[in-house]
Amino acid sequence: MSAQGMNDLQALTARLIELAQKNGAHSADALTVADTSDAVRVRHGKIESVEHEDSRGIGLRAFVEQKENGKQGLAFASASTSDLSEAGLARLAEQVIGMARISEPDPDAVPPLGAQHPDSAQMTEWKQHHASAEHAWNIEAARDAALQCEAAALGYSERISNSEGAESAFGGMRVAYASSDGFAAAYGKTSASLSVSVIAGSDDGMQRDYAWDRQLIGQSLRGPEDIGREAAERTINRLGAGGMPSGSMPVIYEPRVATSLLGHLASAVNGRAVLQQRSFLGDALEEGIFPDFVNIADDPDHPEGLGNRLFDGEGSRCSRLQLIDEGRLTAFLTDRYAAGRLKVTAGGHARRGLTGDIGIGTSNLLMQAGTLSQPDMLREIGNGLLVCELIGFGVNGVTGDYSRGASGYLIENGEITRPVHEITIAGNLKDMFRGIRHIGSDLTWFGSAAVPSIAIDGMTVAGQG
Amino acid sequence: MQNMNKPEANTTVSPVDTGISDSTLAEMLHAMTPAGADDADLYVQHSESESLALEEGRVKHVSSSTHQGIGARVIKGEAAGQAYTDRLEHAALMDAARAARAIASDAQSRAPVAVHTGHQPHALYQQGNPSTGASMAGRKALLERLDSYARSLDPRVKQVFANVSSSFTDIRIVRMDGAEMHDARPLVRLNISVVVEQNGKRETGSAGGGGRFGLERMIEGEEAERLTREAVRLALLNLDAIAAPAGPMPVVLGPGWPGILLHEAIGHGLEGDFNRKGTSAFAGRIGQQVASKGVTVVDDGSIAERRGSLNFDDEGTPTGRTVLIEDGILTGYLQDRQNARLMGMQPTGNGRRESYAHPVLPRMTNTFMLAGEASPDDILSSLDRGIYAVNFGGGQVDITSGKFVFTTSEAYLVESGKIVAPVKGATLIGDGPSVLTRVSMIGNDLELDPGVGTCGKDGQSVPVGVGLPTLRIDELTIGGSEA
Repeated sequence: MSAQGMNDLQALTARLIELAQKNGAHSADALTVADTSDAVRVRHGKIESVEHEDSRGIGLRAFVEQKENGKQGLAFASASTSDLSEAGLARLAEQVIGMARISEPDPDAVPPLGAQHPDSAQMTEWKQHHASAEHAWNIEAARDAALQCEAAALGYSERISNSEGAESAFGGMRVAYASSDGFAAAYGKTSASLSVSVIAGSDDGMQRDYAWDRQLIGQSLRGPEDIGREAAERTINRLGAGGMPSGSMPVIYEPRVATSLLGHLASAVNGRAVLQQRSFLGDALEEGIFPDFVNIADDPDHPEGLGNRLFDGEGSRCSRLQLIDEGRLTAFLTDRYAAGRLKVTAGGHARRGLTGDIGIGTSNLLMQAGTLSQPDMLREIGNGLLVCELIGFGVNGVTGDYSRGASGYLIENGEITRPVHEITIAGNLKDMFRGIRHIGSDLTWFGSAAVPSIAIDGMTVAGQG
Repeated sequence: MQNMNKPEANTTVSPVDTGISDSTLAEMLHAMTPAGADDADLYVQHSESESLALEEGRVKHVSSSTHQGIGARVIKGEAAGQAYTDRLEHAALMDAARAARAIASDAQSRAPVAVHTGHQPHALYQQGNPSTGASMAGRKALLERLDSYARSLDPRVKQVFANVSSSFTDIRIVRMDGAEMHDARPLVRLNISVVVEQNGKRETGSAGGGGRFGLERMIEGEEAERLTREAVRLALLNLDAIAAPAGPMPVVLGPGWPGILLHEAIGHGLEGDFNRKGTSAFAGRIGQQVASKGVTVVDDGSIAERRGSLNFDDEGTPTGRTVLIEDGILTGYLQDRQNARLMGMQPTGNGRRESYAHPVLPRMTNTFMLAGEASPDDILSSLDRGIYAVNFGGGQVDITSGKFVFTTSEAYLVESGKIVAPVKGATLIGDGPSVLTRVSMIGNDLELDPGVGTCGKDGQSVPVGVGLPTLRIDELTIGGSEA
């Protein structure tokens, strides 16, 4: 979208705020999101699908003052629409105010006032690091990359017997935010991705694996052949997978599955979950929850970060936040509401989509690398399990209880001996975090998370064999 | 089985006016469809949804959304060209039509067609917005009533979260020949979850229900209270849960939602796309024995008012009952139009998309196993040492290797046919193509789930249902933490 388009978005959000105030809002804020995206899927060297999407929507949150039934305070409601006509905006404003009058006032409600506008230096820096949508990638290059990627995977070995295809996608998103006290700003962001999934073996012995990359622009992606080779290699290595006996043992998470552990941490330090007593880390602030060699930060301003934000869903400034400092939990993730009740400065973690309520989420999560290479970690562990894929949702955020399906490799005498599947790994996240024995030197970037291999002591593995 | 009866009257409702005329739709079809296309369609969608949520004793999250858009799709052989837009002005629509044509190189267009009313199949649910019968104030009062009810049930209840939501999706599908189908799909849902605390230890429990009917039904009557009692019971039960064992053992599944086993172990592996491509562990197995004798599994999208039901799928194919496994033998796949054509089969009414902005994929509707003859008590008492699992969270499957998981939220350790203690949530893992060959007893108590299932595939979510009678499986691996 051109600068003109960006101005259009800002004009729409400003107009919506005006309409909300006309309808009696105490305060309001609005978000406009415009997306364009393209995707190409190829399979066995032929184009399987081409997709193009163009969408725009606007969301409004409005606060009203209530003095009924002896209750006094601010109540709010939110709504969104894809109808950006003047009539559509008017309907939206009316609807939101009507719903806010039904909503219950909350004495801790924080109206969207006083957010600090990004200054021109910040805006300039953002534009330097973030290409405009038309530079994300282009359809011809994306198609060729997908074809090359799949060809590299299929051609890697005769044992690659089939393909689920390769997909390349790219797009741009523009976000404009405005609030009733005059905040109005917009920024754009792009992304490009390439993935492939292939199959080896036949009948009962079929195995599938995949590889992918995701970056701000197509030119930064790993080479298509490199991604194709990785997928093929991983798939072949899984051939002949069998079961393994149950027992307690150390487990190494390779980086692409170790990201999930950071995800569980992020959910547990979510300020909203803490206030709702739904987090197993709710009482752990300032406590050592990891060994002292663990450091984890949330960084909204990373040169390659797909999770970068110039400001959050409430216009709050975003800055780097150390969540785990030498093993200690040093902060919770907050929006303005959670920050107010937890009595900390708002962290700029309000996450807002067009539909539903404001949530809290990370931008880019970065774990500091350790010193051991993966072979060194295997030797240090001696006997255990290397996990390469996890399935299922067996994580209880209130208690930290953890039980998931897994596949990977058996480690015997410091070396990988054979692939294993149809197993589960279980424990409790509190014990697992404290039980981290090693962190690898193989820090790997996954779009909005950077994670190395993680070795955890004393997990329970269940299997047959 | 509940809700098998059809609603009494079928009132015809006209589509929501999105401002797109029939002549524009015909113009789009002509612009996008090359002479050699195998298929093409337009999918016009208008959706409205509303949600009220209570936490910490207050209904303070009230939200709604209105979204409309159109998806244009052209299919030729194995290739599909698709464009999605929510800009409904003429120029943007014609841009979308041309973008959808990108996969085809033939310059010649198919002859123009006129948009005309197509054959409307069954009427399985009321047409129209399910929230019209329940005021916002009424919904707010419901959540407040459930909050105080939950707290009154036990002093250990510390937090109550309740959410009532409704949506209304108005669909117009215009097929390549100009035939137009219209459906207005209601969907409602009520969820309760609680956090309980005892001696500094916290646990959670949740329950929910819903379907394709008016919201007033969730507000009136006892169902909301029953769900609240269920959430509190589960949370309190889990306070006393012991660690689940780790390793293979016999499992008895309770009726209803544990049917998620079928969804993961069998259903996904029988979707037409995976089988046409030969990437499913079930590929090429039609006619083979994949389950014990007596096991019959069906997918049925034509049950009145169920969450997974549709009058017709998102390609206009009427829904119906597809037998996937009959008396242990694999008999059928779930098909959309493209995969059915490429495999020389008939579409089964399983072509679904999350919205106009997503491609159509073969998906499940309501998937369940037919009842057997054993009494549930006899099945449980047959368990010498094993797990009795009554409630589950989510599940997942690796289509290619066939390995699937599902995670318990209410399960018990059983010894000598008697319940010993509740066990903590554990993931159960098994092998799809072989798990049903270990079924040794099938209960006479088939139940469908209460209307809470959402299935994810390729990043698309669609509402589904599952069902199961009490079932004994002689071996599954239990992923507990007690080695």
